[in-house]
Parts: sequence; structure tokens; C-alpha cells
Amino acid sequence: MKIPFTLPRQIWFAVFGILLLPAFIWVLMRSGPLAPIQVTVTKVVKGEVAPSLFGIGTVEARRAYLIGPTAAGRVGRVLVDVSDTVKSGQLLAEMDPVDLDKRAASAAAAAQRGQSAVITAQAQVSDAKSRQALAASEAQRYVDLAGKGFVSQSVVDGKLQQQQSADAQLSAAESTLTSARQDLARLEADREGAKQQRGNIRLLSPVDGVVTSRDAEPGTTVIAGQSVLRLEKPDSLWITVRLDQGRSAGLRAGLPADILLRSNPGKTLAGNVLRVEPNSDSVTEERIAQVGFNTLPQGVSTNEMAEVTLHLPGVTDALIVPNACLRYRGAQAGVWLRADGDLRFVPVKTGAAGLDGKVQIVEGLKAGDEVVVYSERELKDDSRIKVVDSLAGTAK
Amino acid sequence: MDKGIGIHIEGLSKRYGAGDTAVDALKEVNMSVAPGEVVGLIGPSGSGKTTLLKCLGAVTEPTKGRMTLGGEVIYDNGWKISDLRVLRRDRIGFIFQAPYLIPFLDVTDNVALLPMLAGRPNGEARARALELLQALDVAHRAKAETSELSGGEQQRVSIARALANRPPVILADEPTAPLDSERALAVMRILNQMATQYQTAIIVVTHDEKIIPTFKRIYNIRDGRTFEETGEGRALE
Amino acid sequence: MISLAGRDILHSWGKFVLTGLGLGLLIGVTLTMAGVYRGMVDDAEVLLNNSGADLWVVQKDTLGPYAESSSIPDDVYRGILGMPGVAQAANVTYLTMQVRKGSTDVRAMAVGFEPGQPGEPNYLVAGRRITRSHYEAVADVMTGFQVGDRIRIRRHDFIVVGLTRRMVSSGGDPMVFIPLKDAQEAQFLKDNDAIVNSRARTAANPALNRPGVPGLLEAINASQASNHNVNAILVRVDDGHSPEAVAQDIRRWKHLQAFTLAQMEDILIAKLIATASKQIGMFLAILTVVSAAIVAFIIYTMTLGKIREIAVLKLIGAQDRTIASMILQQALGLGLIGFVVGKIAATVWGPAFPKYVLLLPTDAMRGFVIVMVVCVLASTLAIRAALKVDPATAIGG
Repeated sequence: MKIPFTLPRQIWFAVFGILLLPAFIWVLMRSGPLAPIQVTVTKVVKGEVAPSLFGIGTVEARRAYLIGPTAAGRVGRVLVDVSDTVKSGQLLAEMDPVDLDKRAASAAAAAQRGQSAVITAQAQVSDAKSRQALAASEAQRYVDLAGKGFVSQSVVDGKLQQQQSADAQLSAAESTLTSARQDLARLEADREGAKQQRGNIRLLSPVDGVVTSRDAEPGTTVIAGQSVLRLEKPDSLWITVRLDQGRSAGLRAGLPADILLRSNPGKTLAGNVLRVEPNSDSVTEERIAQVGFNTLPQGVSTNEMAEVTLHLPGVTDALIVPNACLRYRGAQAGVWLRADGDLRFVPVKTGAAGLDGKVQIVEGLKAGDEVVVYSERELKDDSRIKVVDSLAGTAK
Repeated sequence: MDKGIGIHIEGLSKRYGAGDTAVDALKEVNMSVAPGEVVGLIGPSGSGKTTLLKCLGAVTEPTKGRMTLGGEVIYDNGWKISDLRVLRRDRIGFIFQAPYLIPFLDVTDNVALLPMLAGRPNGEARARALELLQALDVAHRAKAETSELSGGEQQRVSIARALANRPPVILADEPTAPLDSERALAVMRILNQMATQYQTAIIVVTHDEKIIPTFKRIYNIRDGRTFEETGEGRALE
Repeated sequence: MISLAGRDILHSWGKFVLTGLGLGLLIGVTLTMAGVYRGMVDDAEVLLNNSGADLWVVQKDTLGPYAESSSIPDDVYRGILGMPGVAQAANVTYLTMQVRKGSTDVRAMAVGFEPGQPGEPNYLVAGRRITRSHYEAVADVMTGFQVGDRIRIRRHDFIVVGLTRRMVSSGGDPMVFIPLKDAQEAQFLKDNDAIVNSRARTAANPALNRPGVPGLLEAINASQASNHNVNAILVRVDDGHSPEAVAQDIRRWKHLQAFTLAQMEDILIAKLIATASKQIGMFLAILTVVSAAIVAFIIYTMTLGKIREIAVLKLIGAQDRTIASMILQQALGLGLIGFVVGKIAATVWGPAFPKYVLLLPTDAMRGFVIVMVVCVLASTLAIRAALKVDPATAIGG
């Protein structure tokens, strides 16, 4: 073969071999289990941890009102629509009165008739009274006459009996009057009742608020308790936040909150915890808290999702490490400590943890200790490591 | 003729095939070459000269006869040597129509190959090679690749190779065929010099008119039979 | 004695080196295929070992959660936690799906886990562990995501807060770790159109939408929109207890299936990888035969080109042994160059493969031995041809 170079071919072959051999050895060393594991390290420092609790919530109204009839009926008219602002006492809707008007009229008429019966009874009482007075005076006169011996006893007895009979008639007439009066009271109560029922089909707003739902249109039949309109007080919006039970230590009323609404994720709103519900959700294992807005934002809708971060009091002067250092052996948390060129797994006890990944170490390390943060693979006690600035493929 | 060293053939016959299709390539050939003698073997193609060379070169087995090489009976109606290859290596030198050098060895190693094959240490083999190359006046090309040499230089290297193991016998097959008259005579000159210097018996198969006059003795071969003749013996300066 | 093989190689070194390079690439492919197989097995082992679990508890009569789909209620783990020998029991979900980032998407396995429990990746290569209960994710680097990327899983956007490595499913898909509740929702909730349709269908059903029962429809919709199932429970067994014993207890008393690490390995490797490994085995066999054929062809051609020299060598007294050894050494030299080139090539291009390629030193050594044996066998063809040459042909040519 013709070689255009001047060097003898042995040299070229040797060059080829010299290039190949170290490449081969490099290959053997770099790959496979012979290669050391690349890790990054950091020092344990003292700093501040800002622990926070995080949860997802939905915007709800504190007070929501369901407006509906107390008796089954048909919806007559609905006067407001969704998003209308209403005042307390405002007529919102009315059920179809059906025969209620007629019934009220009938009750009024009956009351009238009762009134007449009372007058009749009163007249009867007057009549009985006058008869009784006459019978009484007659009886007295005859008793006097009998005492003087002018009349016979039987006549006197007859007059006494007339007096008793007149008394009895008076009592009867009085009791008839009483009963007519009671009857009148009953019929008047019936009349009032019919009026009230007529009034009940008028659905009035109990508070100042905003209509959030129009559930039945005129002509729809609804039963007692079914909603025709729903109202909310717009200034009573708050967020029902659910937090994992396991990560809710320190939850209490009054904690400051950062609120991010799904509809406006760029703006963080301020709020605070108004109430922690005494009942947790055992199925989802969450605690529930109510977080209020410090200033109610515009254009918020209920059932909107929000991300809420609650700030617990910060921990200062704590030993902190990034939470990427933590490794778990079973349930025991620990870190890989690099001391005197040696690698050792050290169990640690953690304290507060911030949402940014900083974790307080309560036990197990001291300031200035060097710990492994990132590693290419799971480390073992006898792993050989090589410290680098950042692991391949992750540098931005 | 002296039977001690050199080449001595008696009644050599070679039959190819059997029965009706048998061909007698050699029929009772007799031949003698003394050490230091350069003898021509001349004949038309098909006369059996190639067969005779093959028998002498111990690559083909004759049918019957007797061959003596360098004082040793190598064939007497059957091979008398157990390892013919060693015989060829140590006792016979071959010069071919074309130089047939090994292209991946340089000039020195082409010549030194034979002593190395014979077991000589590399240094000694190369020293002997250099010596022969000097004698043949191609020592200045000792380190060259064979492809870099001219035809004549290659031929001289092949002659050196044939001599490398100091064989008592050299068989040359048309060594001058491709050469012009001046170069052909030069080759003959060298052969004669080497023959005298190393006391080698050399048979040259040829039909080259240019060199036939240089032989002192010629064997004509026709139809498998040889006839001895006296050659012109023209001098070579 | 000089080395005839060495001289011949040096003389036509270009041809030799080029052939060696070509053969080397072929050997590199072969080594890589073996590496793919080892990688698949390693994927399975890494999947099992990285989960930190001793037992996998799945739906009865399934081979889940990787080989078969398995669904169990998410409160079963409480019962298992109470059993003797159980140190930790945690719910996990697995869902293979397309994860979207911007306009591209990546096939990944979304893993739902509870922090501090088995199922969470134990080491990171960048970023931090998840601290929020929703919408944060840790992704394997093979997804191509970086810390800070916003990715979309089903209906929600997640932000990648950490990266890890070698967390892949048994199918080789990289994993993305998200909080369990988000994963349960992702596994269950469909897109908005489907939800609206489902609500309409429920509302049209008179049995479910009863006017006399206010609130019934809402309650039904809410129950339909929640998912309280997980795919498996990962159990860590106390020291001093045997995983198999705990597994027996679970199988017997809890009407669930429980697999130990050894059984999971068997399922993954024997069942999932079986077909792929057969295919790879066939490929390896074919590649070996092809390599042998190429070496045989090359050496044979080189030998045929030297027929005349071989005849001359035999004539002038070279032994058959010398000539055979020259051819054999050339074949071995070719194999050596090919192997070195192949090993380097496989190491260089291995990381570029979409699946994990694991090149073991033992495989390389085995490969080397096979290459040498193949070269020896392949050279026999040429050696036979060389030995058959008649030295007489050198005369009278």
C-alpha cells in the first residue's frame, strides 16, 4: 500500500496503537462498576428556616341562603336573576297562590259571620238579662207579699221558679255569647292564618346579598324545602383549605396566609386563618381550615380553586441542609457525611422544614460538616465517590 | 562424472496417469552436473523439462529411477529422504521465471528468510543475507521494499535468496526470459560467479537464444529423453 | 524467526485497520445489544430496589402492579400497618401516560407517593424533594425536564422541583413522582368534556336525579368525581421478620396478593422481559454468525491474494505449520482490533440510546473470548485453502 507520508509505516501503526490503547483503558475505567460515583457536597450552615403549610382550597361563601317555599306549590314568578344584588326584605319570587286567595276570602267571610253570631248572642243576653231582672223583681215582690200574707206560698214558689228559670236563661245566653265570641276568635285566627299563608308564598330576601343561582323558573313545581334561588353574602367569601394531616403541625387560627387564586395565579393575596375545623376528614386524611381574605378581591367566584400557604413562625439560628441530602434507611432519616476522606451514613433528627427545601437538623450534625447532596446512584458504605460541581446532564 | 557431490540422475522416468491414458513425461533420463558447473537444459514446451525440474526439486515423485543430490541419494525407486521440505530448504535453491519475492518482507528479510526457516538466529541470517546482497551488488537496496526495485535488481535478490542456505544445487527455470540481452548475460555471469565461488551445481532450464551459447555443456530434452551436448562455452566478462 | 503475520499486517495495514474498524463496529453493535438486555434487567432490578420495599401488596389474583393492572382501596393500608412485622406500609399508584411540556410530550410513568414512605426516590441529582402537598413533581433526567419546568399531567400543571436518575419503569419509561392524591386524580379524572357528559348522563337518570331528595344529584356527582383507589401498597418489613412470613399473613387474612422481592424479580424478568430477551438473544446469535462470516471472508480473501507467495514459501521449505500460524495470527489480530474498536464504540454511543445500556466487564470479557474463538474458526477456511496449495505450482508458472 502506498503511504504518502514520509514516516515508516511502523510508526503509523504504533501511533494508531498508542491512540487505541489508552482509549480502551479509559473506557474500561470510566464505565461500569469500576467508575467512582459522582456526587456534590455542601456544608451544614446555620440559618433560618421558614416553615410553612401548604394546602389546596376552594372559595366558598360563609353564609349561603337557600330561598324556597315551605309548602309544595308551583312557582308563580321570579323577579331576580343570577348576579343581581338584593336588599334584605326584597321580594325575590312568588309562588302561585292557587286557591289561597279564595281561602282567605272564605275565612274572612266566616269571620264576618262569626261577628254576626256574637252580636246575636249579645242581644240574646240582653233579652235574658231583662227577663231575669223582671223575674227577680217579681219574685222579690211576691216574697214580700207572702211575708205579709197577701199571696199564697205556691204563687211565691211559682214566681221564685220563674226567677230561677230566668237566671238559667241568662246563663245560657251568656255562655252562648262566650261561645260565639270564642268561635269568632277561631274564625279570626283562621282568617289571619289564611292571610299568613298567602304571605308565605312571597319569598323575601332575608339579607343583603347577591343571587348566585336561579334554580326554578315560573311554572315549575317545587316541594317544601326545595331551592328556588340561592343567595350569598358577597363579603362573606372565604377559602376552605384542606391540608394533609401529616403535614399540618402548627396549624392554628390567626396564621398569616398567602393566597393564590387559580384565576389569577400571578397575584398573591394576603389573608389569615379564621378557623380550624374541629372535624377532620378521615377518608382523605386532611385537616380543614377556613382562611379569610384580608381585602376581598374583585371578580372572585365561589368554588374557585386556590393554593394557600400558611406561614408558621420562622426558626432562626438553626442548622440547615437542603432536603435533597436526606436519605432514608427504612424509616430512619440520615445523611451521608464526608469526614477525613471517609463516607459515613449518619442518622439525623429533623426539625422544621421550609417549602423551599431547607430542613433544620436538630440532632446528628454540627455546623461545618460536609454532607452529600446529589449523587448519581444510591450510595453504600463502601462506595467510592468523586466530588463534582454539578452532576452531568443537570447543569442549566 | 564424479558421483560424490553435484547432481546425478540415472534412469529417471515419470508416468502420469495409468492404462490407456498414461503419459510418459520422462523416459530413462540420465544427467550429471558437477559442483561449480552451470549446465543448460534446453527443449521445446511439452518436452518434459518442467517435469524434470519438479522431480529434481522434490515436489513431484518420479515413477522410477535414481537421484543423487549433493552426494546424498534422495530417490531410488522411492524417496529416500523422510522430510522433502527440509531437503528443499537446505539443499536446493530455486530461481523462478519471475523473481517471486515475498512482497511484505523487505529485501534483506526476503533473503534472510531461508536461513531463519532453517533455524538460524535472525542476526546471523541477516548478516549472511547482506553478504550475498553485496556479492550480487544490490546491498545498497538492502532496506528497500521489493516493489521499489527494478526488474534486474529483483532478479538478483532472488538469486541471493536461492543461495542463502548455501545449497549444493540450484535449479533455475527460465531465469532470463523477461530480460534483454545485456541483462541476460549479466545474470549468467553472476550465476557462473556464484557457482564457482560457492561450488554449487546449477541447472538452467531455458530456450533463450541469447544465453545458450554461454553454456559449456547442454542437455537437450525431447519427448522425455535427454541428450548430452557440448556447448559453445562463450566467455562472459 | 520473524513474524510473517506481523509483517503482512504492517505491509497492508490500511486494509487491515479499515477491516478492523468495520468489524469493530459490528462487534460494538453486538456488545450494545447485550448491553440493552442487561439494561432491561437492570431497569427491573433498579425499579424494585429503589422503591425501598420488601413486599408489594396488590389486588388478589393479579401479578401487579407492573405486570398487570391492580386496584385496591386506599384505606387498606391501615389494616396492613397494624399487622405484626410491618414497619411501614404506604400507598402508591403507577400510571404510564404522556406528560406534556410546552408543545412536546414525553412518555413517562407517573408515580404517586407519600413523602417519607416507601415509593419515594431516595436520592436526587438536582433540585429538592417535594415539600408541598400538590402540584410539585420530581422527574427522572431521562424525561429531559429541568428543574423549574412546568409540566402538565392530565388536568393540572406541575412544577419540576427535583431531578433523579435511574428511576425507570420496567418498560424503560422514565418516572415522574407526584403526590399521591394528585396521582389518584390523574388516574381517574378525565378531561372536562367527559366530566360534563357524565354529569349530564347522571342528571338524566330519574333514579339518581330525584326532586324529592334535594342534594342527591350533587352527592352522586361528587362521589363519581373522586377516586379512592391505589395500585399497590409498598410494605417495609421490620428487622427480624421474614418478608415471606408477613406476605403469607397478608395473603391469608387480607384477601390480597403479596409478593416478596424475589417473586417480583421473577415476575418482571421472567414474564415481562422474556420476549424481549429472546429477541435479543436471536440478534446476538445472528450478529455473531455475521461477524464470523465477515472475518472468514476477509481472511480467506487475503489468503487467496497470497496464493503464489504461499506456493513459493512451501517450495523453498516453509512448514505448513508456519503458514497456518501466519493466517491464524492475522485472524486473531483482526479480531483484537475489532474488539477494541467495538468496546470503545459501544461505550461511546451507549449513553445515546433511549433505553439504558449496561456494559458489564464480564460481558466484555465473554465477548472477547467469543471474538477470538470466532476468528479461530473463521480462519480454518483460509488455512485449509492454504494447505491445499501444491508447491509444484511455483515451478513452471
